[in-house]
Amino acid sequence: MNAVGIGSSSLRRNPASPWRHVDLILLGAVVAIAGLGLVMVYSATQSRTGFAPTYFVQRQALFTVIGVGLMVLMATRDYRVFRDFAPAIYVATLIALAFVLSPLGSNKRGTQAWFQLGPFQLQPSELAKVTVIVCLSAYVAAHRGELDGRRLLTVLALAALPMALIQGQPDLGTNLVFASILMGMLVVAGARPRHMAALVFAGILAVVLVFQLGVVKEYQRDRLGAFIEPESETLRSAYSLKQSTIAIANGGILGKGLFRGTQTKLAYVPEQHTDFIFTVVGEELGLVGSAMLLVLFAIIVWRTWRAAALAKDLSGTLMCVGVLGMFVFQIFENVGMTMGIMPITGIPLPFMSYGGSATLASFAAIGLVLNVHMRRFS
Amino acid sequence: MTFTLGTIMVGFVLLAGRLVMIQGIAADRYVDVGESQRVRSVVLPAERGAIFDRNGYDLALTVGQSTVTADPRFVADPLATAKALAPILGQSAGELQDLLTKESSFVYLARKVDDAVAKQVRDLAHPGIDVIDEPERFLPAGDLAAPLLGRVGLDNEGLSGLEGQFEKRLAGKPGKMILEQDPDGRAIPGGLRQSRPSARGDDLVLTIDRSMQHQAERALAGQIVTARAKGGMAIVMETRTGEVLALANLVADPKGGAPRPADKNMALTNVYEPGSVNKMITISGALEEGVVRPQDELSVPGTIKVSDHVFKEHDPHPVESWSITEVMANSSNVGSIMIGQKLGKERIDRYLRAYGFGKKTGLAFPGESSGILLDPNKWSGTSIGTVPIGQGVAVTGMQMLAAYNTVANGGEYVAPKLVKATVGSDGQPRPTPASDRHRVISARTSQQVTAMLSEVVRVGTGKLAAIDGYTVAGKTGTARKPLEGARGYQEGAYVSSFAGFVPAERPELSAIVILDEPTPIFGGIVAAPVFAAVARYGLRQFRIPPPPPAAPPAAAAGVPEASPEGAQGVGEAGGEEIPATPVPTTLPPSNRSKPAA
Repeated sequence: MNAVGIGSSSLRRNPASPWRHVDLILLGAVVAIAGLGLVMVYSATQSRTGFAPTYFVQRQALFTVIGVGLMVLMATRDYRVFRDFAPAIYVATLIALAFVLSPLGSNKRGTQAWFQLGPFQLQPSELAKVTVIVCLSAYVAAHRGELDGRRLLTVLALAALPMALIQGQPDLGTNLVFASILMGMLVVAGARPRHMAALVFAGILAVVLVFQLGVVKEYQRDRLGAFIEPESETLRSAYSLKQSTIAIANGGILGKGLFRGTQTKLAYVPEQHTDFIFTVVGEELGLVGSAMLLVLFAIIVWRTWRAAALAKDLSGTLMCVGVLGMFVFQIFENVGMTMGIMPITGIPLPFMSYGGSATLASFAAIGLVLNVHMRRFS
Repeated sequence: MTFTLGTIMVGFVLLAGRLVMIQGIAADRYVDVGESQRVRSVVLPAERGAIFDRNGYDLALTVGQSTVTADPRFVADPLATAKALAPILGQSAGELQDLLTKESSFVYLARKVDDAVAKQVRDLAHPGIDVIDEPERFLPAGDLAAPLLGRVGLDNEGLSGLEGQFEKRLAGKPGKMILEQDPDGRAIPGGLRQSRPSARGDDLVLTIDRSMQHQAERALAGQIVTARAKGGMAIVMETRTGEVLALANLVADPKGGAPRPADKNMALTNVYEPGSVNKMITISGALEEGVVRPQDELSVPGTIKVSDHVFKEHDPHPVESWSITEVMANSSNVGSIMIGQKLGKERIDRYLRAYGFGKKTGLAFPGESSGILLDPNKWSGTSIGTVPIGQGVAVTGMQMLAAYNTVANGGEYVAPKLVKATVGSDGQPRPTPASDRHRVISARTSQQVTAMLSEVVRVGTGKLAAIDGYTVAGKTGTARKPLEGARGYQEGAYVSSFAGFVPAERPELSAIVILDEPTPIFGGIVAAPVFAAVARYGLRQFRIPPPPPAAPPAAAAGVPEASPEGAQGVGEAGGEEIPATPVPTTLPPSNRSKPAA
């Protein structure tokens, strides 16, 4: 059913309307985190030299508004429609990822990952996370989850193509998110245990090879090295790792108070409005605030998992599982790295980190989950 | 599926656990690290207290200067910065570059530069280069009283003299400023966490009178040049209080220029054998003990044998019948020894000590000497001959002045005083406690001795100390200098002095003038005129009126006038054959009788 006309009158007339089954808990958690994210972005950037105090937060607010619009859009059309367009979406994704590597894309600090669109940058790899989830779900569901070796390889190939293009940028962090998405979906899709074991082994082998063959850039090695050896002062990444932990510790139980984080204000933590936004929460809102944020994230994870469990069909379940893999990995990796228990990779914290593409992708993913959840009876 | 969610939730719990560890349990450890990199403490130097004379004129004060420092960690381009600074600071670019590349967070580039240089450096505004305030000690009166004031080091720490003695009071307490800095080491505007201002040091108000000091130094300097002396000292004291009004220590310039301030405050740190000036102690003690009376006639021969030594007068004379007053006025060695023998060594020693010899004055001045006074049990056979005439005993100039001041003060010893008051942060002067005092001789004895000392100036060896309209009381001294590091005395090397007070009727000022190796040698010729010049100025400066003419001092009769040209007296200078006493050999050579080293 197509629920184009949204309105209270239609809701009343049609008890089966999916809009009666919108997951308000999930929505509430997302709105709360996104709101907190705006405040934190403001706190981290208000005293940045060369920018108006509200420059970053205004842009992030715009991204959030667009993100909410995208979420609504993603929820409005029945997700089963996306299945039908999966091949087209997949091709479009590949084209975007390929183009970003061409001179059309722009390069920042050695990474070719953006299209410069006026004052904004579009990062196709972020949005690709969502589109690939949709496409993989469509393929697996079309085969009713019977993943024999050949189909498994097809799935892997479908995932590998965009990942290869992303590695061309290079963007190891996003590919790790892809790996997480893939793993989750394969498990739920019913991949055979021995295939999974082989896959894990291959993954480890690949990581080793990547390091040995020098495919990994110097800075990436630095970051991972910093994780292994955080006391090494010479590494810039060790600096960010230690600084982020110091900033969080500085918050103590109750925090320094909103906009009062000294380490934050003094810009001791690099990339604080993006990858290290969690340190602002930690310093200014303390253990209480950061634990609350973790609870909100746990709610998102729980509701996403619930949507996956309740979904009317396999494609819905897989979509939710993909989103689950994406969020879980991003949350654990991002929060973990700020506290020094995960290696540093440039992965944004969903709904918190400053950045248009990542914000849009997160909202789109939630839109997908809302979509599956509200249509579980139809 | 439930298993999956459970696993994920366990992950969240683990994250929360890590949070609890970082923000709760181990927070301090991380916070300390953060604190140490973010917070920088800056020491605010305390302004050193000033030193004033008794009237509040500056003798030493602190003026602001600038010092150029660098934090090499933030010097972006050491070579360019060094090249830019080199011409301004007048240093080589190479040396500066070495400093700017040091593994350090703080180096001095140039200390205490003037404002123009500081401004140029500030205008350059090179990163990592800083100009800080650093006060410098400044002596507005130049070298005036320099050996007394002492010196300060580069960090304004007192090294010697009063600067050293009162270091704690003058230095004050440095303050501390705790700043927050950003990762590039720049102080954050408004990032001041805490500031404890420095506490300025206390001021010292000395007993010194600037003008008196100046006159004393001028008169002394003139005589050092005229008499081709190695150096000299002059001290002026307020009789009743023991307050030192002037304390001059000068040494001759070997190149023939004007005498310069001595390295040390010799009047307190160096000892000399006082010679005839010491006869006053012997005679006053004998009078106080009733051993002799002023008018008692002594049959004084030209020589006297003590133990195995024959003491002679400087000028041979037949057996004379001299009163005690005449013995003093003529500065008779033989007469003084005879009186000393009557008094006995125990009582001589007692009076020497009562007058303050053999112990420090209580000023606690750095390097102050106690003088040298042998225990009477260790006296040699000839000591009863040498000590009464001031050889074989060593004193500081200040000790001898205090002894004469005792007579001036009616027989009561007053410890000398250099610091009149201290001024704390409240601006209120806190007077120092009054000097210790104790009686040495009776008022009557002091009057008798004063009368004798007045005769010394009126008709005896001290004529050149006379001041028109006033009666001066005093005694001359011309003592041989002991050999350094050996027994015996130097040939032809004398310390000449005059100690006395004025007006004799009602003494207000006491003074001593000591010259090291002058030519001529006699204290009555070289030291007495300086005394007169200094005392004359003091009388005017402190508006001390002459006594009413109706009350002339009781002049002792029958004293033959000594000619001004021959103002040396019969025993003024120590006889050639006076043996070396054991005293000097007990001293390290550097401490021996070097009034003007």
